Amino acid sequence: MSKNEKQQNPIARRRFLKSATALGGAAALGFPMISRAQAKTIKVGMPTILSGRVAQLGISSRNAVMLEVDKFNAAGGLGGRKIEMVVRDSKGQPAEAARVSRELVNSDGCEILFDAEASSGAFAVQEVARDLGVLVFHINSETSSLTADPKIRIPNAFRTARQGVHDSIVGGSYAAAVAKAKGLRKWMTCSPDYAYGRDTTAQFTEYLKMFYPEAEIVGEAWPKLFQPDYTEVITKILQAKPQALYSCLWGGDLTSYIDQGNIYALFAATEFFAVNMADYTALTAVKNLPVGIHSGNRYIKTFPRTPANAAWGDAYRAKFGEYPTNWSWESATTAQFLISAIKKTNSADGKKLAEALRGMKIDSPFGTDGTITMRAEDQTIVGYAIGWGTTISKEPYIPEVKAGDWKQIFELELDWKKRNKYL
Amino acid sequence: MKRRGFAFELGIAAAALVVLAILPVLFPSKALVDFAIRVAAFGIFASSLNILVGYTGLVSFGHGMFFASGAYAFGLLMQKAGTSIPTAFLLTLLFSAALAAVVGAICVRLKEIYFAFLTLAFQMLLHSLIISWQQLTGGDQGLMGGIPRPPFLGINLADQSHLYLFACATLIVSLLIMRHLMQSPFGYTLRMIRDNAERAQFIGIRVWRMRLGAFILAGTFASIGGIIMSLLVSGAYPEFAYWTISGEAIFMLMLGGTSAFLGPTVGTMMLLLLNDVITKFTEYYGLTLGVVILLFALVFRKGVTDFALEAWRRRFGENQT
Repeated sequence: MSKNEKQQNPIARRRFLKSATALGGAAALGFPMISRAQAKTIKVGMPTILSGRVAQLGISSRNAVMLEVDKFNAAGGLGGRKIEMVVRDSKGQPAEAARVSRELVNSDGCEILFDAEASSGAFAVQEVARDLGVLVFHINSETSSLTADPKIRIPNAFRTARQGVHDSIVGGSYAAAVAKAKGLRKWMTCSPDYAYGRDTTAQFTEYLKMFYPEAEIVGEAWPKLFQPDYTEVITKILQAKPQALYSCLWGGDLTSYIDQGNIYALFAATEFFAVNMADYTALTAVKNLPVGIHSGNRYIKTFPRTPANAAWGDAYRAKFGEYPTNWSWESATTAQFLISAIKKTNSADGKKLAEALRGMKIDSPFGTDGTITMRAEDQTIVGYAIGWGTTISKEPYIPEVKAGDWKQIFELELDWKKRNKYL
Repeated sequence: MKRRGFAFELGIAAAALVVLAILPVLFPSKALVDFAIRVAAFGIFASSLNILVGYTGLVSFGHGMFFASGAYAFGLLMQKAGTSIPTAFLLTLLFSAALAAVVGAICVRLKEIYFAFLTLAFQMLLHSLIISWQQLTGGDQGLMGGIPRPPFLGINLADQSHLYLFACATLIVSLLIMRHLMQSPFGYTLRMIRDNAERAQFIGIRVWRMRLGAFILAGTFASIGGIIMSLLVSGAYPEFAYWTISGEAIFMLMLGGTSAFLGPTVGTMMLLLLNDVITKFTEYYGLTLGVVILLFALVFRKGVTDFALEAWRRRFGENQT
């Protein structure tokens, strides 16, 4: 508006100001609850990894959350209150994850945190939640002690991710059955040299030997995380000539390892058990996916083989133009639990939500029987789809998945907790 | 102009502490308090690096090892030994000083790029040790389960306002001691070594011993930064020992400047502010920050306090730094 125009319309301007004042006054005096309710969103802070080598996982976490939150908001939210996601990059650094989490609560006014960090970041966010008392969901950390260890566990934190010990029990049981059938006694392991790699491998071999005592570990290889060249490791394995090989390499490391192993025909010489293979990021990135690799499920839309799971996978792909990841289903599950708790309590209060979440069972496309339960005693999910199968080189990549037995998981998990003095 | 005495600096420090103490009353914001605690941690860390870079002429690429040694030693003492905070604080300083003495005894005999890369090698060695010694350090997951912060002398560091005051007081006391030491004959000897080590040697100064002294001093103060950071995040992580944290300290010196004593602290505020603002609005943090750093490195070639100091000297003709 030019200066002349402004001067020509003083009455219109005054009228506008009067109207605005009257409207504001009416909103403040006459309809305070309505104006406040419409204005105040349920703010959820989400620290995650949006840059660096594993940014794809953080982005897939954010995508999956938004898929569920958009549905909730489109349906009207909580009596008009919508969920507002505030997503920040932690760069995969625990100290930065802690800082960002504190900022999300203290500066941005978030009432709930979705911790979409890798394990080290999750432990950092846990301490923030302990200090600030805010409700937190750990979306992706599979480290069992986060919720199993009573010294680490806090009442306001819930895990909506799979757990390492569950994977190891199912993996050990499955591998032992294959080993018995094929007489695989000489085993070797090749996992990344950091806490996750060491813990997961130790737990897998423990359960393998429990179910198949004849199994013998003849060698171990510990490549560095993000190692570009596996020649030395592959040569070591070929020299040891194991009948079976276990690995918990993941993402780009796993695909590089398989691509390089193919050059040496490694997977023709040994049965390969790779717990993290059955994730689309790995399955689609390998140049020549060998047939017959044994893998635990991460996320594939054919397991559980239900219309709901297939529809969710297709909806994700249609919206974001790529397949969901392991972090995606865990993130979607988080949003589903939060939304269910909000609806159940008709509130966004952290304490009420936490109370409602303990023991809550929700319908889920990712559940073994179509449901997932938030176990009350340690505030972690159980009943999610978990199983192992073998690869083919094209979709659906793992045509048949043998589902794990949750009764067996519960029994052995209890025993594991007792041995670790968690109970 | 004659340099003002220690009593004057003590007065300035006391006034700064009073201002910092009433800041949260005037601007009650938890985010501001968090920011100030981080400035305290990294401000001490960057200022300690400046003892080496600015005063002694030793560019260390591995200074982060002492930040990490502070965080881990303090965290482990609190978690495993259950000591009181003052005891753990003092033992951590002793541990870091001993570590700096061992590492420094090997490194300070070298100069320039050889010194820089040897310090970097030691830092990465410590990083590998932290990752590998999983039973003690928690490996890549860091010290899990939180760091206990039992109250002492009526101070409860689990309370954010107490931690804020503690961090501010520690920052000011640390800066005051560092300032006093840099203005002492020892500090001027370091400057002489920085400007002409051979001449210093000719007049009878044991150069390597002085450099070692500066290295131990810098390492010890850096560990105080690590202690404050571990108290804030209630943990310690291998990233504290990664080379990037040493790089960040060098960026802080570049942004703030090395000539003025408070340059590193100003640089710390600038880098943390840049980090916080940029990560709020874009995922291209590295790209944006890189442009800013390049601007300082290639265009300005000085930190902001260097410009301010030059302007001050032009105005008042003071030569002291």
